[in-house]
Amino acid sequence: MTAPAAATPPPIELIGLNKWFGSFHVLKDIDLRVREGERIVVCGPSGSGKSTLIRCINQLEKNQEGTVRIHGRAYGASARENDAIRRDIGMVFQSFNLFPHLTVLENCTFALTWVKQTPKREAEALAMEFLTRVRIPEQARKFPLQLSGGQQQRVAIARALCVRPRIMLFDEPTSSLDPEMINEVLDTMVELAQSGMTMVVVSHEMGFARKVADRVIFMDQGEIVEEAAPEAFFTAPQFDRTRLFLNQILHG
Amino acid sequence: MSDVMTPAGSAFEATPARRFTPKPARPAPASTLGLRGWIRQNMFSSAPNALVTLLGLWLVYVFVSAIVSWTLVNAVWEAASRRECLDQVGRGGACWPGVVAWIPNLIYGLYPKDQVWRINLAALVLVAWAIPLWLPRVRSKLAIGLSLVLLFPFFASYMFLGGEKGPVWSALIALGLAAFFWVMATSAAEIATGRSFGRLVVVALGAAGRSDAYRRRLHVAALLVLYVAALAVTASLSLSFVQTRLWGGLFLTVVISGFGIAFSLPAGIVLALGRRSRMPLISLLSTTFIELFRSVPLITILFMFNTMLPLFLPAGVEVNQLVRAIVAVCLFASAYMAEIIRGGLQAIPRGQYEAASAMGLGFWQATGLVIMPQALKIMIPNIVGNFIGLFKDTTLVSIVGLFDLLSMARAVGEDTRWLGLFLEPFFFITMIYFVVCFSMSQYSLNLENRLSAGQRR
Repeated sequence: MTAPAAATPPPIELIGLNKWFGSFHVLKDIDLRVREGERIVVCGPSGSGKSTLIRCINQLEKNQEGTVRIHGRAYGASARENDAIRRDIGMVFQSFNLFPHLTVLENCTFALTWVKQTPKREAEALAMEFLTRVRIPEQARKFPLQLSGGQQQRVAIARALCVRPRIMLFDEPTSSLDPEMINEVLDTMVELAQSGMTMVVVSHEMGFARKVADRVIFMDQGEIVEEAAPEAFFTAPQFDRTRLFLNQILHG
Repeated sequence: MSDVMTPAGSAFEATPARRFTPKPARPAPASTLGLRGWIRQNMFSSAPNALVTLLGLWLVYVFVSAIVSWTLVNAVWEAASRRECLDQVGRGGACWPGVVAWIPNLIYGLYPKDQVWRINLAALVLVAWAIPLWLPRVRSKLAIGLSLVLLFPFFASYMFLGGEKGPVWSALIALGLAAFFWVMATSAAEIATGRSFGRLVVVALGAAGRSDAYRRRLHVAALLVLYVAALAVTASLSLSFVQTRLWGGLFLTVVISGFGIAFSLPAGIVLALGRRSRMPLISLLSTTFIELFRSVPLITILFMFNTMLPLFLPAGVEVNQLVRAIVAVCLFASAYMAEIIRGGLQAIPRGQYEAASAMGLGFWQATGLVIMPQALKIMIPNIVGNFIGLFKDTTLVSIVGLFDLLSMARAVGEDTRWLGLFLEPFFFITMIYFVVCFSMSQYSLNLENRLSAGQRR
């Protein structure tokens, strides 16, 4: 199913990943390889380990067993090396996690200033470019809590894009939004997907999965139960567990 | 583009849609608006409410009129002794001449009269040092604030204490003085030209186009010139020695609480981070320190430091009584501050740290730039509350033989001319405490409002 190992290492490679919270086994023998430009949607019931899985990709959660490689570089050599690997990965959270004490623009230039030491003027120009791309340049001088949920999440996307990551992770980006705001965020994500970004998205937005995903992964009880192209996944799921889940979320 | 969500729209097209027009908003009823509306709603909404309002107003009147008549209307302003006051008005009015005669002592303690200018000068320097922190055009605020906390004490200590100064002590005093020169120079430069002192020197010498390293050397040279000037001033200064036993009054109160405030905030931050650390030893040490000092009354700590510390020190080493009291107050205050700051840290959602971490910021960057600014901001009321408490708690140092504002007020009534005059000096220092503490509290409110503009959760 995956392409033979090319000359360039894959953006994300998870090998034999196991993780426990205390004595609870959250991730069991996860193997996953994501190709350049591939869009993956991960779904599954709550507690299935899908959020933990993508948080292992940028090591917000540390796995006890197995290897995570980003563009061929494995985590764990040193804290500095880990931070360096992370800088290739942007992340968008369910609760936005914008910095409330900084303006929208300052949120976007934050990593540029403090991690990449970009001069202020250049950082601001870049930030405005991405704010324009998510269609809220006019909000740049406001504080995050003055914006609607959908706008905050679009700022979060712009903020993550500012450092020009090669991989974007989305952890349930629309789950805490009012229904009327979900589309504005999804539209932004669709555009991003069409630009060729490598994306891993934890989401229950099956419309989004059908439209942009190259592969849909279904997880339950810490395992990858099933993975397939969206067409096959939605029309002919192999496992009973997957069918039960799809029935619940599509017709619930 | 919005076909991303699965269903919607199309199913409803069979029947034509009715148009929804929202109703225009109406103004609120007039009886609930304005001052009259507010008074009616909050003070006279019902018969019992009106009765309570009137009773309250009457109580306020009785209380205020009694105070005004005692302090102002019936008060005596000119008299040579308490006897004369009593002959004039009895106990019905305040006897202010006693307080007026003692004001220098209430403020400076027993500090020699002809040396009091040293305290005033240091106070003036402190004010001049701090003012740029509030001026919008000044940009080097962090450096100014840090230098104020770290270097002003050297200068001030010498001004207050005077006496012999060895080479090391001279160097430190000059450092404080040089920092003050720099603060004045850079504030003036930034207000006048928008450039910091260092930049201005570089430009003035026509070196703006030269390499970074050259400009940095020039900047350092300018600072060195300031330091040499400060050394010269320090060398020419020769102040007589004033024992700390003679320090007292408001001056001593401000010295002790000033040290306590300046020390407890940074120490509290370090202890709070230490307590949350994942390293067991650091966490254990911080927790032990905090819990130890929080579980013991300040008065006990003062006693312990005063009587027991000399036992632990090698013979011949003597630590000044005032220093012992200051150290005790500082440690006590930092333990409290640590818990306040830890409370602030806990109020910051984990996601904030994760977001910073996901961007590739390390622990210290994330803490210093994302977590701590937010934690300190939400804790401003508690931090300032702690400062206010500290300022008032310094009255306890009278127990170890230091003459703070409260002890000096008590001394008025022991003066033979003003024997038994207690109420008036206490009223006077109450006003001083109130003015200082109330200003702090108002400033904290003001700071809170300014910082949280547009950031309410």
